[in-house]
Amino acid sequence: MRGRWKLVVALLAFALVAAACGDDDDTAATTAATTAAPATTAAPGTTAAPGTTAAPATTAAPAEILTDVGVDLDAGVIKVGLLSDLTGVFGALVSPIVVGHEVYWDDVNAKGGVNGLTVELVIEDTEYLVDKHVQLYEELKDDVVAFGHSTGSPHTVAIREALEEDGIFAIPLTWYSGWSDPAINANLLPHGVPYCIEAMNLLDYITTTEGGTKVAVVSLPGDYGQDSAQGAKKAIDALDLELVYDGEGQIIPGQDLKPIADAIVASEADIVFITGSPGNVPEIYGQAIAQGFVARWTGALPSWNPAYIAPGSPIKDAIERDWLGDSYIALWSSPGAAVVRDLVATYRPDQTPHDFIGEGVVEAIIMHQALLKAYELGDMTQAGLVAAAKSIANLDFGDLAPPEDYVSAADDRLQRTSAVLFKPSQADLAAGGTGVEIIETNYVSPLAESYVFEETCFSI
Amino acid sequence: MTVAAAERSRTVQWIGATAVGAAILAAVLIAWKGSELLLDATANGLSLGAIYALLALGFVIIFKATQVVNFAHGAIAALGAFFVAYFATVLNFPGRLATGLPAWLQWSLSVVVAVFVIAFAGLVIERVTIRPMVGEPLFAIAMVTIGLDIVVRTVTVDFIGADPRPLGDPWAASTRELGSVTVADTEIVTFFAALVLVAAVAWFFRSKTGVAMRATAFDQEAARAQGISVGRIFAISWMIGAALAGIAGVFSSLFPRAATGVGPTTAFFAFRAFPAIILGGLDSIVGAVVGGFAIGLAESFAGAYFTWSGLGSGFAGIVPYLVMLLVLLIRPYGLFGTEEIRRV
Amino acid sequence: MRGRPNLYVSYEAEQSLLPTWTQRIAATLVVLVLVLIPLGGGLEVGESSFRPLGFLADADWLKILTQVGIFAVAALGLNILTGVAGQVSLGHAFFMAIGAYTAAVLGGEVGAEGFFGPRWGMGLPIWIWLPAAGIIAALIGMLVAPTAVRVRGLYLAFVTLGLVFIGEWAYRTFVSITGGSQSGREFPGFEIRLWKEETPLLDLTRDGPSWLVVNWVDWLLGPWINFPDEMSEEAKTFLFVLILAVVFVVLAKNLQRTRIGRSFMAIRDRDIAAEIMGVGDAKAKLQAFAISSFYAGVAGALFAAFVGRLIPESFNLFLSVQVLAMILIGGAGTVAGTLLGSSFVILLPRLVRDFSSWLTETVEEGSGVLAWVGDFFVSTGQDDWGLVSTASGLTPGLSVAQLNAVLYGALIIVFLIFEPLGLYGIWIRIRNYWKGWPFTY
Repeated sequence: MRGRWKLVVALLAFALVAAACGDDDDTAATTAATTAAPATTAAPGTTAAPGTTAAPATTAAPAEILTDVGVDLDAGVIKVGLLSDLTGVFGALVSPIVVGHEVYWDDVNAKGGVNGLTVELVIEDTEYLVDKHVQLYEELKDDVVAFGHSTGSPHTVAIREALEEDGIFAIPLTWYSGWSDPAINANLLPHGVPYCIEAMNLLDYITTTEGGTKVAVVSLPGDYGQDSAQGAKKAIDALDLELVYDGEGQIIPGQDLKPIADAIVASEADIVFITGSPGNVPEIYGQAIAQGFVARWTGALPSWNPAYIAPGSPIKDAIERDWLGDSYIALWSSPGAAVVRDLVATYRPDQTPHDFIGEGVVEAIIMHQALLKAYELGDMTQAGLVAAAKSIANLDFGDLAPPEDYVSAADDRLQRTSAVLFKPSQADLAAGGTGVEIIETNYVSPLAESYVFEETCFSI
Repeated sequence: MTVAAAERSRTVQWIGATAVGAAILAAVLIAWKGSELLLDATANGLSLGAIYALLALGFVIIFKATQVVNFAHGAIAALGAFFVAYFATVLNFPGRLATGLPAWLQWSLSVVVAVFVIAFAGLVIERVTIRPMVGEPLFAIAMVTIGLDIVVRTVTVDFIGADPRPLGDPWAASTRELGSVTVADTEIVTFFAALVLVAAVAWFFRSKTGVAMRATAFDQEAARAQGISVGRIFAISWMIGAALAGIAGVFSSLFPRAATGVGPTTAFFAFRAFPAIILGGLDSIVGAVVGGFAIGLAESFAGAYFTWSGLGSGFAGIVPYLVMLLVLLIRPYGLFGTEEIRRV
Repeated sequence: MRGRPNLYVSYEAEQSLLPTWTQRIAATLVVLVLVLIPLGGGLEVGESSFRPLGFLADADWLKILTQVGIFAVAALGLNILTGVAGQVSLGHAFFMAIGAYTAAVLGGEVGAEGFFGPRWGMGLPIWIWLPAAGIIAALIGMLVAPTAVRVRGLYLAFVTLGLVFIGEWAYRTFVSITGGSQSGREFPGFEIRLWKEETPLLDLTRDGPSWLVVNWVDWLLGPWINFPDEMSEEAKTFLFVLILAVVFVVLAKNLQRTRIGRSFMAIRDRDIAAEIMGVGDAKAKLQAFAISSFYAGVAGALFAAFVGRLIPESFNLFLSVQVLAMILIGGAGTVAGTLLGSSFVILLPRLVRDFSSWLTETVEEGSGVLAWVGDFFVSTGQDDWGLVSTASGLTPGLSVAQLNAVLYGALIIVFLIFEPLGLYGIWIRIRNYWKGWPFTY
């Protein structure tokens, strides 16, 4: 009995292997054929978009509109996917961004939708896990026309090639400088000043207005922290500053961070450039000021959290004195964010104010423009939307965010403008704002202005 | 010489040897980087070790009495810290009933109330999920606590909300000079509170219930035969374990360690105490305290002295595990753990 | 004598892989059904098509099933160590990482440049890197095994837990292998080459003709059954992983009736007694760690190749716990239980997610009793109070994602309280009930 069973297994295995080796020629041949066009495109030759310039806000209906996935003309529905980190490490920041998307599309739909089509969001929680992100992308790509955002750089890099192969575009919810590099970005449409350039703006502004020459740089490992830290180091070189402590990639979440604080204190820095998360920045800051250390502290936007100056926070007075930050979009209290405040007041009156709601609105505006453009071109397939989005040469967000360009060469399209520079303000928080005092709007430092972008500051 | 006397003299020898070793180490470190760094690292290590000791103590009490490896310990700690934040800042209870009291006493009363709540939560957890598993394989119960960890942690994160919650302690960011080092007031409070709690636990084990608990840990059936309610002992040990975890959660969420209070990652802090638990021995109360402080000091010293970049970032974080591994290879049941008697 | 389940007339019969006909038929049916899934979830016979499992042939379901297969291999490995040999390990993620990074170094792109300098990759074909992933992991496992002779029980579990944390430091430090913390690197894909030639012999990473059903099968069954001409990359990958998983299942099942397997069980049940009977404690533990780590290494390499790009933080304690959950929920010590457990742990989050989206849809749009009842539990906005909130942002109540997590944890608890021997225990209970039916015993 045992022998026979073994024979069957062996035969089965052999058959499968033989089958596997059988027809390699066919595989190669059709592989070439199938990669050229996405699986279900209705008609050939639709991907070539004419090189048109700016898209008008409203568009005339073309005679016929091509659709494949995610757009149902009969039901009048457009489905847009969001790969959001709702419960992972950046959950607290991404949740309000999703609210931004929701209020924007609530408004668009209430006013007649995108040329009569209602936009529906399909929101999935990636938990900031790469494998989960990839899996959810595979689930959503057969359901949605494009991705309103994709959270996290390693996560977005993991689906980058698939986006290109499947002919779908996505808006990266990360400000990694690589998204401005055509070699990396493919079908990704970023916006806002990247971490690397942001660091230049901050250090240039601080050294020009307040002085200081000794800089300590501390960051998380990976694209976020190290892109930012690399920008800071470029600024230190260019501005002739002194790097007194190099803590690039030294913040390891879940470990005692006092040694980093000790190193910062020992370096006697005038400026501390720290790029971490709201979980570890206060720990390092707290351990440093516990030793009586005073300096100017600054860093990438996600390092900042209004909870630092919330009533009851032990560090509220110290950090109000020490912090100076910037933002990729207009913050809640800026004049430019009036549109966000109006949307929230209309559609989510009970929502707590949050600076990142505006980020969701900005992403939704990019998606809206791409949809309008695709409608105008008569091709609302996934691939058609890619072409339409990539032909947007001048996308104006009003005062909400600096304008974007998705046509020009990398160096020309690179965003160099920080939408605002701010200092923490307990008074603003008490008055119902998000705790910031805006000191500059649409700031471009001379250093960032003259910086020639050849390749990403940090490659992953 | 009697057996007890021999044991006592062995203990004295051990303490003596440890003291001599520590003195030599201190001398070497002072010669290397000066006394200020040594004192600073010691202060940090003691306050860190105090938190580890409290976590380890709660864990060991639960394990000793019920043979349950509690993976939900960190989640319970975070929940306890949340209750303190809720009572002290949102409800201002019981501070609002006694406005004349000093701030530190008001806050301590909030902590006491929160500790009772978290102890009750421990009781509920034991009754609902652990009691039905009595007599089942050790690792099936451990798996239940992993399920518990997911549930309690998620609910706690939902309670906390998007942003971390400050605990409303009166010390905030105040610091003081102790000789040549600056120490945060909260660190001093943590250290002495841990000492008081350890003393309280030691005293408790000499009380009638404590003796019953030790008897249960020794042999459940024999304890039952002596009229001890084993079920009640299980409940009490979970209440004490949860309470100690909750207090450790509070101290791990104070300035300067977590300057903005209890947040979504507070629950993971307890994983850092695992080497302390193992180092001392899973079922030893003394071991939990010694292990806690030893690991706290080892981590702090590694952070202060192992700064050579060739070791890569975060080497200090794995030093507790290396110490644990080394000790286990020499003493397989930890420093103070009971050696399992292996019979055929 | 026929048809009596527990009556064996020869040692050979008792020791066979599948001792009863019921088991043989069930196993064959399971494999057949699994093979049918990538073929479209059923068959097309003549004009009529019969696709009861058509929904499983979707790309996303195939991906999940592939993951089940990969984690089944990992869990089978841990089952050999923990279930059969009784050595509890929380370090499985570490061995999976060893496998994944061995695959990355051997099979990775040649001359790739990372930010931290050259990224190691030798561009070797899959038939080298996949077995090598297992072998290197097995060697590392053999280095760890001696600790298991010295350190026992729960203490061993925590020693292996230490491996995971020490591993995390190592991945951060050896950036030319791992690509660095939070950055990660690309892993070689499922492309079968003879050597380093340009076009692979067989490319599982692209859609194309169905390579399983070659001319001779088509010639044999073609007149009656229509096989699909095209196969998606997901279907191909699933088939590939399925074949490997079946091989590993047979090997694991077979191990339990070999001398080595029985020595594992002797060590598990009473190590001193085993030693007295001439079963070497150290030798058996060395073998157990080696075999288990081999499984883990292969599973790690498969997982990395399947996802394509991973950050080192993916191989964390949670992964170890997940694999341990598979064997404990399934029923430690049994191959069938391990397979049930890995299906359960991988499929559960997806099923829970589908359930909660169905629930919220019913409440928001539906009418009738169900929606009315559901409305008590679900809140749709700030003013509405309920256990679960479907609105995003900061509303009272659990978010849908949090509900998923709570249900996941609660189901683990409920299952184990209901049946501490796991899913396999439930199965035994059902089987025993029907064995004696209509009598109680």
